[in-house]
Amino acid sequence: MLCEKCKIREANIQYTEVVNGVKKEHHFCAQCAKEMDFGVYAAIFDGEFPLGKLLSGLLGIEDTEKGPDKLQQIACPTCGTGYSDFVKDSRFGCADCYSVFGPLIEDSIKQLQGSLMHTGKTPIFQRMDYDSQGEELTEESSDTNSDKNQLLELDAKLKEALRFEDYETAAVCRDRINELKKGNEGDA
Amino acid sequence: MNLRKGMKAMLKWFEQTDNGRSGVISSRIRLVRNWKEYKFPSKLDERESGEMIHRLEFGLKDLGEELGKRLTFSMLDDLNELDRVGFKERRVINSSIAAKKAPVGILLSENEDTGIVFNGDDHIRIQALKTGLHLEELWEQASGVDDYMNERFPYAFDDRYGYLTAFPTNVGTGMRASVVVHLPMLSQGRKFSSLIGEMGRFGAAVRGVYGEGEDNYGALYEVSNQKTLGQTEREIIDTVTKAAIQLTNQEMQVRKLSLQRRKIEREDEIYKSYGVLKYARRLTSRDAMIFLSQMMAGLEDGLIHTKEEFNVYRLMLGIWPANLQKISDRPLSKEELDMARAEFIREELPELN
Repeated sequence: MLCEKCKIREANIQYTEVVNGVKKEHHFCAQCAKEMDFGVYAAIFDGEFPLGKLLSGLLGIEDTEKGPDKLQQIACPTCGTGYSDFVKDSRFGCADCYSVFGPLIEDSIKQLQGSLMHTGKTPIFQRMDYDSQGEELTEESSDTNSDKNQLLELDAKLKEALRFEDYETAAVCRDRINELKKGNEGDA
Repeated sequence: MNLRKGMKAMLKWFEQTDNGRSGVISSRIRLVRNWKEYKFPSKLDERESGEMIHRLEFGLKDLGEELGKRLTFSMLDDLNELDRVGFKERRVINSSIAAKKAPVGILLSENEDTGIVFNGDDHIRIQALKTGLHLEELWEQASGVDDYMNERFPYAFDDRYGYLTAFPTNVGTGMRASVVVHLPMLSQGRKFSSLIGEMGRFGAAVRGVYGEGEDNYGALYEVSNQKTLGQTEREIIDTVTKAAIQLTNQEMQVRKLSLQRRKIEREDEIYKSYGVLKYARRLTSRDAMIFLSQMMAGLEDGLIHTKEEFNVYRLMLGIWPANLQKISDRPLSKEELDMARAEFIREELPELN
């Protein structure tokens, strides 16, 4: 059977939808399924122990595309978690795993979370870093302040860009933010 | 009242009554955090886990004073099986932590409304509970504990991904905000599953507390946020609160309708439930939950009145094996459990007015 969306590739994913008691069956290929919104599925995720296996499923799809051999060799140098371990358990072994596997699973995280940008609370030590810089560098305080404002501005711009899925602008903002933050650390 | 001796002198959080909003049972905020210095728990060996737990415990020795609460620390391993399972029944810990082989530490307030688990799925799991709809207040509390800890232990944090967690489904805020609601009539309706789907599109997940679909005896449902990344804590709280209010409002509408159309049937069901609870000699957990659920709705709808104030949820949490065995002070077979359950409910159920 051909995929009902692209009508080109062979369908290998069956998707059963029940809406108001009416059952519908769909057949998609892996590529099209990947582009679909899985948001509704999220309702079945358990709060404490969520969707682990679903993420594994999503990653499994990618596996076949990128060639599993290369990915198999990737492992986190800090904790030794390999890509296949990660796919199996959907569990990171340490904080560094995020930078090791991050680029590989960005799409999947986006599908799971609907976003790739944290906007909530930040740790207290980071807040204190900014504050103490402001106090210590009295002479340059205007500079630091303008840096800080610039950071805030960039941050807002970044969020705006992300909302409109303008990833190019977002990437530029992100790099600029990182640069500024590095510069600040160097001063202090 | 010999059974009451089994209950501890200090009231647990779920024994406080909150009559704020019909259908809402309790609220919970859970935050997970990881200490920068260590690998995540699944990659720590026994020695590293033990060392980390003790450093965390030592660093937090004055937290109780700060909060004005008496906090008790224990290693899950050192507790007997009953206390361990009891923690799970009362939702102090989740099943994945209860089943964990590696060392786990727990710092818990006397009434169990504030708990911090060390070395569960993540290094730190902060939980705050309260009866009624109070997510905002609980968030302030949990966030305060979070700050206190963070002053002592630097967290694994990323500018982009936020708080880094063992599971990618917690990354970002690391927060799960949840509300337990009672939906006995709404959940029987044909449209309930599509309603849950609708909530999913909002970003709120709805799950049976004691099982899915037909098996969720007692009709308690937990509403919580699906996503943890890309939303602020306040936005998450707002989503979950709105979903809980919407579900309970709809439940109340259905109930109001049932009072107009079939009041006598409902009264009959509720009084029969009371009769069984009051006089049965054996009760399975399934039957106990079904009849207690009837009582809960009956009291709220004013169809039945008790002489003393009666907290049904307390009984719903009390009818599970670990608590019954603790009261009986000995291990019980399945049949003995059903008898102990019936006895427990008989003793606790107030007279009717």
